[in-house]
Amino acid sequence: MHKTGPQSRHRLPFRWSFRAACVAFFAFSVFIFVRVAFAQDSFGQPSQEPPNEERFVYKLTPDVPITTSSGVQNLSAIWHEKPVLLTMIFSRCARVCSPFLRSLNSAVSDAGGLGTDYRIVVLSFDPKDTLADMQRLASELGLNADPDWTFGVASPSDIRSLAAATGFWFQWDSSTQQFDHASLVVAIDRGQLVRMLAGPSVPAASLREVVQELRGKFVASYALAGKVAFRCFEYDPTSGRYSLDWGLALMLLPGTCAILATAWVFFLLPASRKKRNLI
Amino acid sequence: MTAATADSGLWSEAELAKFRRMTLIWGITVLLLLPILALLGYFMRLYQSGAFSGMRAEWFYAVLTLHSLGMVGTWFVGSMAGVSYLLLKYTRPNLAVSKFVYVGTLLGVVLLIACTLGGLFGTGWYFLYPLPLFAQGVWAPWATFTFFAALTILGVCWTIWTLDLLRAVAQRYSLGAALGWNYLVGKPGPELPPLVLITTVSLIVSLSGFVAAVIVIALFAARALGVNVDPLLMKNLTFFFGHDLVNITMYLGIAMVYELLPSYAGRPWRTNRTVAIAWGAVLFLVMFAFFHHLYMDFAQPTWIQKLGQICSYLLAMPAGVVSIFGTLAALVFAARMKWTLSSTFFFLGILGWGIGGIAAVIDSTVEVNFHFHNTLWVPAHFHTYYLMGVVLIILGFIDHAGKELSGLEEKPALSKLTAALLLIGGYGFLFMFYWGGVNSVPRRYAIYPQEVIQGTLYARIAVGFITLLLLGILLYLWETGRRCLKALA
Repeated sequence: MHKTGPQSRHRLPFRWSFRAACVAFFAFSVFIFVRVAFAQDSFGQPSQEPPNEERFVYKLTPDVPITTSSGVQNLSAIWHEKPVLLTMIFSRCARVCSPFLRSLNSAVSDAGGLGTDYRIVVLSFDPKDTLADMQRLASELGLNADPDWTFGVASPSDIRSLAAATGFWFQWDSSTQQFDHASLVVAIDRGQLVRMLAGPSVPAASLREVVQELRGKFVASYALAGKVAFRCFEYDPTSGRYSLDWGLALMLLPGTCAILATAWVFFLLPASRKKRNLI
Repeated sequence: MTAATADSGLWSEAELAKFRRMTLIWGITVLLLLPILALLGYFMRLYQSGAFSGMRAEWFYAVLTLHSLGMVGTWFVGSMAGVSYLLLKYTRPNLAVSKFVYVGTLLGVVLLIACTLGGLFGTGWYFLYPLPLFAQGVWAPWATFTFFAALTILGVCWTIWTLDLLRAVAQRYSLGAALGWNYLVGKPGPELPPLVLITTVSLIVSLSGFVAAVIVIALFAARALGVNVDPLLMKNLTFFFGHDLVNITMYLGIAMVYELLPSYAGRPWRTNRTVAIAWGAVLFLVMFAFFHHLYMDFAQPTWIQKLGQICSYLLAMPAGVVSIFGTLAALVFAARMKWTLSSTFFFLGILGWGIGGIAAVIDSTVEVNFHFHNTLWVPAHFHTYYLMGVVLIILGFIDHAGKELSGLEEKPALSKLTAALLLIGGYGFLFMFYWGGVNSVPRRYAIYPQEVIQGTLYARIAVGFITLLLLGILLYLWETGRRCLKALA
């Protein structure tokens, strides 16, 4: 007993520390598992700002396989036939996805050309979404019977490569059990990203510009997403014409100021008035 | 005697002496800056020749920025100082304003040197938006700030100077008289010296250019504070300012020729209806000709590009043709010309303006611009009407004033040698620019890539001509500088 006492005192802490290590290891494993599990559901850096179009435009879009109601096909099978408007959503979205798709549908109706000039592909970035989920969403929006709207899913890795090439991002928010994500539609012509429209809805005027591009008409100038102060000209995609904008008023300012300053010097300066009678 | 005298009743002899002294100070300052800035140009062609292969290319662009802004600024103040001096016969410019502008200009130049040679700020004179704000680690934010501070100081000072000269004109002439409107309608009226007419037109245009510069600087500040600005607007405004400033410098030089060359030809050169119409048209057309700098900006609507080409063509007619024809036919042809260094420089300056102007009109043609845009053709044409145009005219004026105020006569043999060196060196140097442009050598390249490696050879040949040019400049500085210093003493 005399000998065992000290041994017991040594064993007890060892046993407790071993158990604590096991618990810590288990907790760490769970933590890593959860992180890994949900890490697949996030991609890119959340940003309130629209993606910088210049970084992505004219770059090749990955030709990934997607699963649609027609089966598995590569994206290139679609864009080789016609240019594509591509957007990414998730079917359980309680926020922007459905309104965004409705605004896209409305803008498309306004701009025209669907089926003749381009087609639309809607992919889910949520790994939990199935093709059935996407078809249900299409039905809810009344688009399931439209052959020019394609709803589909793709593997998480393919979704990430598509997102990387198009400036898309999505982030799982465990507090709301929803994805925080970009609202973005990109125009792809022969595999190249030619335009992107960012925002919670798709303005019809902006989509008309995109459609002009997809029809092969050169749109020389258009407003990038985000406010640009004092533009010289505004492009009207309906007529294909430019109209003057407020920036041009700044171009008139130097001449106007020069005229006013000359008038001030010649007509209003007291010294000028006094001596004008010379000549 | 072409200088103002106390007999005019406008000035006392003491006032005139002070103004002459200030003009000499301006002239000597220009003469000091000329070799420094010319050596910077020499450095750039040497760099393009591969003479400084171990040196960072950033130095080339910093020197390019200082050389271009420095030269444009130097000759602008040179022409303003010259015109101020010649206006003394007719009006009363303010001496205090001239002194104030001198101090401000020196401060601006020091800041420019600091940000370029000290901070490697290297955007070129046009500081095209938004490049100054994205240095990519080449220059520090302080260099950008210093650059814009320099531009602001120079812009404010030169605007004040412009307004003062306009005020001086307005003290004696009504606006209609100063612009020669009585000539236009054929009514009898006061005789208007061409100097006053051209100066008035030039000053009004330069005011508009300075306002454009103010807007550009303000929008840069807005961008630094996070407001996105339309790059197309910025480019339009930048070239509105830049194109006007360069043109105004040229026109002020022409005004000096109108005033001084008749004294060498022994014939008067008076304002008439043609001259009044020509310079009235300049007042309008120069505001729209700058669009030819933006031909490759496809976002600019086509009608503006057409307007740019039409105005560029029309602009060459009134001032260029009338002044060049006037020089050749009305003054020099069959005249008993007194050929001195000054009158030779005035004549050669008009010649350079004509040659550079033709090259400019060629490049202002949209179809041609597709090929020549951003090639060495561009520096070729503006160096022609600058170096062999307005620079010669201003050097002619400084030489004229130096002789007039010092009483020292020139040595004809030395003058001929100076003119020959400047002519051969200058046009040889320019020819290599033109040749480079025709052979698609791009401008603003520190080192030529393999595709346009012929540019290196052209730069090497140009270096030889620049050496002759610099020798001519040194001879000129020795002779004219000596006279100016004696007059100042």
